[in-house]
Amino acid sequence: MTSTEVVFVVLSAVGSIGAFRLVTSKNVVHAALYLVLTLSMVGAAYLVLAAGFLAWVQVLIYVGAIVVLLLFSLMLTKAPIGREALDNQQRGWAALVGAGVLAGLVFLIQNAFGSAPRIQIQPATTSEVGASVFANFVLPFEVVSVLLLAALVGAVVIARRDERP
Amino acid sequence: MGPLAQAVAPSHMPIVLRPLLPELILVGTALALMLLDALRPTPDQRPFVLLSLAGVAGAAAATLSLWTWKGPGSVLGGMIAADRFAVYFRLVILAAAALGILLSSYYLDRAGEARGEYYPLLLFATAGMTLITAASDLILIFLALEILSLSLYLLTGFSFRRLASAEASMKYFLLGAFSSAFFLYGIAFAYGATGTTNLAGIATALASRVNGDALALIAVGLLAVGFSFKIAAVPFHMWTPDAYQGAPTCVTAFMSAGTKVAAFGAFLRVFGVAFLPLAHDWRAFMGVLAAISIIVGSVLAIAQTDIKRLLAYSSIAQAGFILVGLSAGTQAGIQSAMFYLAVYAGTVLGAFAVVAIASVRGEEHTALSSYAGLARRRPLLGLALTAFLLSLAGIPPMAGFIAKVSVFSAAVQAGSWPLVLIAVLASVAAAFFYIRVIVLMYMQDPAPEIEGVRIESDPAGWAAVLAPAFLTVVFGILPGLLFGLLRTASVVRF
Amino acid sequence: MESYYAQYGVVVAVLIAGIGLVAVAFTAARIVAPRRPLPEKLTTYECGIDPVGEGWAQTQIRYYIYAFLFVIFDVESVFLFPWATIFERLGMQAVVEMGIFIFILALGLLYAYRKKVLQWA
Repeated sequence: MTSTEVVFVVLSAVGSIGAFRLVTSKNVVHAALYLVLTLSMVGAAYLVLAAGFLAWVQVLIYVGAIVVLLLFSLMLTKAPIGREALDNQQRGWAALVGAGVLAGLVFLIQNAFGSAPRIQIQPATTSEVGASVFANFVLPFEVVSVLLLAALVGAVVIARRDERP
Repeated sequence: MGPLAQAVAPSHMPIVLRPLLPELILVGTALALMLLDALRPTPDQRPFVLLSLAGVAGAAAATLSLWTWKGPGSVLGGMIAADRFAVYFRLVILAAAALGILLSSYYLDRAGEARGEYYPLLLFATAGMTLITAASDLILIFLALEILSLSLYLLTGFSFRRLASAEASMKYFLLGAFSSAFFLYGIAFAYGATGTTNLAGIATALASRVNGDALALIAVGLLAVGFSFKIAAVPFHMWTPDAYQGAPTCVTAFMSAGTKVAAFGAFLRVFGVAFLPLAHDWRAFMGVLAAISIIVGSVLAIAQTDIKRLLAYSSIAQAGFILVGLSAGTQAGIQSAMFYLAVYAGTVLGAFAVVAIASVRGEEHTALSSYAGLARRRPLLGLALTAFLLSLAGIPPMAGFIAKVSVFSAAVQAGSWPLVLIAVLASVAAAFFYIRVIVLMYMQDPAPEIEGVRIESDPAGWAAVLAPAFLTVVFGILPGLLFGLLRTASVVRF
Repeated sequence: MESYYAQYGVVVAVLIAGIGLVAVAFTAARIVAPRRPLPEKLTTYECGIDPVGEGWAQTQIRYYIYAFLFVIFDVESVFLFPWATIFERLGMQAVVEMGIFIFILALGLLYAYRKKVLQWA
């Protein structure tokens, strides 16, 4: 194993533990914080795979914005869920589905890439990503702004005070 | 330099925007409506309705001009397909949007829900629907899918003071987000298997394989699941009855027609172009999906006591019938599915329009028992609903009959007669509940509490009922009108 | 490839130093400081006033709107980074592309402002 692979394995192990605790934790705030751990480890894995821009997007959007949104929505709820047991009767099924997905993915990745030659990781710089987005994927990029605008109108619809008497 | 750099040299292709003009007009109109709403707030909804209709009409004109498009088959770097397939789907969607706007103006006035955010959202949804049928890159398809879904979640919950509407929106959103994740995962696998998200590129990459690999098949499966949610095929239909029942009826009318047409348009394009090399594998999957959708939709519809839920289950069954055409995997199959979609869109939109008018001020009288004696109280309304229900049941001379026959014959030609047998038996059983409603309307006396309720209607409401009713009859008698167009429109080029 | 990892060497060093500093400080405090817990010492410190109720309070929906707007504009800002690295190369084309993108979102901000969702009252 090269040193890159060792780092990758360590990061994925920490991320997986975080993910496991995320679904087994009985305190939703703790669960949200485990989510931060998992998402950060995914970001770190991107870094190791030399996708620097993607890693920082992961930190900015997921670890930053999405988790903040999640915590805010937790705080909107009335119940002091901090200490309350958070569980339901479908653990068995969930575990089964999780194991199934794991087995499927292991098989798939083995099947698709197991016999492929080892590739040399090459860094994808931010300017390459930029060239791709702004030369080849211009239309999807502009469509994203329309999507964000629709989301913003949605926020206005939900947040608006009732103006009628 | 990394692998990306070789693929991207700053390009100086000519920017051809005409095939995208319909969407540009729709989004532009939505922006204008937002500005109007923000800068000159007015309780009067008429300017909004008229401006939205003008936008849809403009988009339709731009679409029509594309019918004779002589330029390249795909533009903007292979993102947008400029074929008659897209023109056909866009026209159906735009017609549904126009009728939806008319019905909304009728409905929102009476329900007291008229607010400025409604029409921009409706136009965003329409733009997403038309874009998805023309998009020929998986990333763009995903974005269009998100635009239309997001707008529809909001429209579903638009009368959020009514608890059912908020609940419907929530359920629709959660399951819709779930299905988006499937779709996105499918895109990732498709990219992993072929190294591109362009539909034509995927087809090229897959065609050169000697044996299909698991990665591509998983991509097919996940994308099919994502689409199945949107077209409401069993077992991915759970959101449909609640969302259709809880949403404001004008939204239900628009989304039941528009979403299904749009999602099927993209479904046909993705599977008919990108995954055509794997057709042998996905045809059986479609067949199973079709069979259980037809059976479950028809059986559960029998037990319904609410007309909106009844129509929701009916639309699940209809998705199954359309899938029968898709599962044939032939040109005739695609053609029949496209005919079915247009007929379905008109029929279901008209049926929900009748519901919107008959239920008076929103959502009060949607129980089936309220429809007792409707034909005596409002003969024209009763007659229109009868036409729609007969068409949904597939009884001549309505267009639904021709649609079913053409779908079945395409499937038989492709050799899947067991599927057709199931479908025919189920449609016989399904005819029972459609006819039950008709009997209720004509043979029974109105319930005492409903007798005195006055049903008012205005030209906008009538247009949303009579235009689809007219088309349902016309396409039933003269199906050649539509099939003539479909001969060239059913060829998916990119 | 080596140079790629090397440029993150400083980041890793700072990370290790940061974790080390906190660990050392807390361990030192634990070893050196006397521990005589009293009920009063163990209560939450709230500017010298006795804490009331629980740590959990329901927040207003308004905060959520700000968080949501933050996410939207966060996503927008992410696109600015790759844009900044290439806009010299693409020139006018890049300016127009980003101009449209920002214009559409600015319109959304104007809309939210006019709809008074940005007001606190």
